[in-house]
Amino acid sequence: MLGYILRRIAVAFVLLWILSVITFVIYLKVPADPAGFLVDMQHASPAQIAKAHHILGTDKPAVVQYGHYVWRLLHGDFGVSWPTVVFFNGVVQGAPVGQMVWKAALVTASLVLGAFVLLLLVAVPLGTYAATRPRSFVDRLTLGLSVAAISTHPLVVGLLLQLFVGNKWKLFPASGYCTVSHPSAASIDAWKRFAPTGVPEPCGGIGAWADHLVLPWITFALFFVALYMRIVRARMLEVLDEPFIRTARAKGASELRVIRSHALRNAIAPVVTMTAMDAGMAIGIAMYIETVFGLPGLGRTLIRALAGFQGYDLPVILAVTLAAAAAIIFLNLVADLVLLALDPTVARRGGRGAFRVLGRAA
Amino acid sequence: MVAEAQYFEEQSELARPRGEWALAWQRLKRDRVAVGCGIFLVFLLFAVGPGAPLYGKIVGHGPNDFFPYAVSVGLRPAGPFTVTWATPEIAGDDPFALKHPAPPQGTPKTLLLLGADSQLGRDEFLRILYGGRVSLEVAVGAALVAILIGVTLGSLAGYFGGWVDAIVSRFTDLVMAFPLLLFLVMIGSLFTHGIQDWTLHGLFNQGVIELVLIIGAFTWFYPARLVRGQIQSLRHREFVDAAQMVGARDSRIMRTHLLPHVIPPLLAYGTLLIATNIMIEVGVTFLGAGIKLPTASWGSLLAQTWGSILNPNPFNPATTQPWLTLCPSIAIFLAVFALNQFGEGLREATDPRTVR
Repeated sequence: MLGYILRRIAVAFVLLWILSVITFVIYLKVPADPAGFLVDMQHASPAQIAKAHHILGTDKPAVVQYGHYVWRLLHGDFGVSWPTVVFFNGVVQGAPVGQMVWKAALVTASLVLGAFVLLLLVAVPLGTYAATRPRSFVDRLTLGLSVAAISTHPLVVGLLLQLFVGNKWKLFPASGYCTVSHPSAASIDAWKRFAPTGVPEPCGGIGAWADHLVLPWITFALFFVALYMRIVRARMLEVLDEPFIRTARAKGASELRVIRSHALRNAIAPVVTMTAMDAGMAIGIAMYIETVFGLPGLGRTLIRALAGFQGYDLPVILAVTLAAAAAIIFLNLVADLVLLALDPTVARRGGRGAFRVLGRAA
Repeated sequence: MVAEAQYFEEQSELARPRGEWALAWQRLKRDRVAVGCGIFLVFLLFAVGPGAPLYGKIVGHGPNDFFPYAVSVGLRPAGPFTVTWATPEIAGDDPFALKHPAPPQGTPKTLLLLGADSQLGRDEFLRILYGGRVSLEVAVGAALVAILIGVTLGSLAGYFGGWVDAIVSRFTDLVMAFPLLLFLVMIGSLFTHGIQDWTLHGLFNQGVIELVLIIGAFTWFYPARLVRGQIQSLRHREFVDAAQMVGARDSRIMRTHLLPHVIPPLLAYGTLLIATNIMIEVGVTFLGAGIKLPTASWGSLLAQTWGSILNPNPFNPATTQPWLTLCPSIAIFLAVFALNQFGEGLREATDPRTVR
């Protein structure tokens, strides 16, 4: 048991290491010269460019650079965002990427976690209801809806919701994000003085936060709800056939009690672990939704870093990739451990494979 | 006597066991949803293939022609069923005019079935047809690439097992755990300056081959896993032993004895993969890493009203035309839905486990 847990953790670390190598290779191979952010490449002399390379540390051999890269990662230093880099008093300064990515990760987390709660609140009751009445009208309706939902692009749902519910009918804010905590007086003051027109006033508070996330949550949940509903339904049908359900009924337990305490409890465990396995897809879908609704999450940060006018903001791109993949590795590890807690025999059978996503394309 | 011979002939005709494909076809015909979707797909293929230039000929313009008369003075593109003046420039230059002045005498009119696509006033319907062609080219091409790689590596892994299998399987596990879309968008933006212009002498639009290769390179894991599983389960059956005993080489066993078993599920899976790829193309292009304007694709048509990540168009009830979001949305939905349902039907029809 302990050996199994340790092995899983070791696998997670190996994957993180492989990931750091992959991101570093991307960093090396991308046709973008970071010196361009420090000096004007069109007019700078070769000596100036060489100096810029020296300051950024990009003139050293790849292995040394990789060593620095890993060393800095281990210290939680993701470097500085290139477009903000300034060379001042002999040190390179700029917006630290670690903070940017952390803030973005919080936004993505509030989108994904909120949507998953909504998703489970809809999928579990509906799936259970459909399972208790197979071939009923509700069952057919949920089947039809799920078939349609699987074929609907999240971008389509997001754009239509934004256009009609958000912009035309003005039921919910159509875009933007509000932090959970209230903005500081200083930031509002800074907004009044310096913000260009069109930048919305910084907002905050639980109410505003939830209000701005309603449409993104619905969009996100709609994509997955169909799938989870069908899985809950299938699992419930399986479990309802088990002998212990018959026993519970024979003892005279009410139907509600049979469903709630006997069947659902057994049916829902694999669903919960599946949420972790879907994390990779969830981050992809979150990228669409963040883009459409203007949420400053990981996906939008990545796309902005890729689409910048000045060139690629590589430290941000790498940090987002690393953060997203690390989150997925972590969630899979947690899922493995939860599965282990639910069913100790997986340790002997070798588990479901630390990183096996069910055969579904994103 | 003659009648008797004829009778037996008929009998033997009836008694002849029908082949696997005939059975599958028979089952498929019974599935009304799948048949409907299949007919729709044939119609769709015709519409985006020869249909698009044909329609362009009928109405007399191309997908990139401008019709400023289809855009109101307030810059709102016209809605469906618009008949507009077929001229690329507006007569008169009064900036305070409340209506466009009429064009000179003798200007022909033309029909925009779904209205104008943007402030440029191009034919939305024609762009959806041509965009569908680009999207389907990407989707089908990427599915073919993925299946080609997947079949090769999957059958090698399934047949030989051992370290080949270990490498392919671990690699598959590794890549499948990572956010595919994130990588697609990243690679699509970072590494494709060379291959973006590949068009095979103008056969495809710019960016199509790039997307085909990238999407294919990141989605072959699923077909590889499918083929590997199938081959592994067939690997130690008697007919393989028999073939080995009569001295067939590994390559021959794989090609003529094992791969035919894999084709039916692959066909069904390929259809589903095309549907997924359409979704991926739409997403990647929407996020700015796929097909570049002015080439229409379903992704860029969907992004038309919304704008782009660096300058999203603000919503303005006076200029925003909801049809421009609705029309590509419906097109994407119908295509993906039909492909999904047809693939499902195909899977059920070719699966030998279903009741004959």
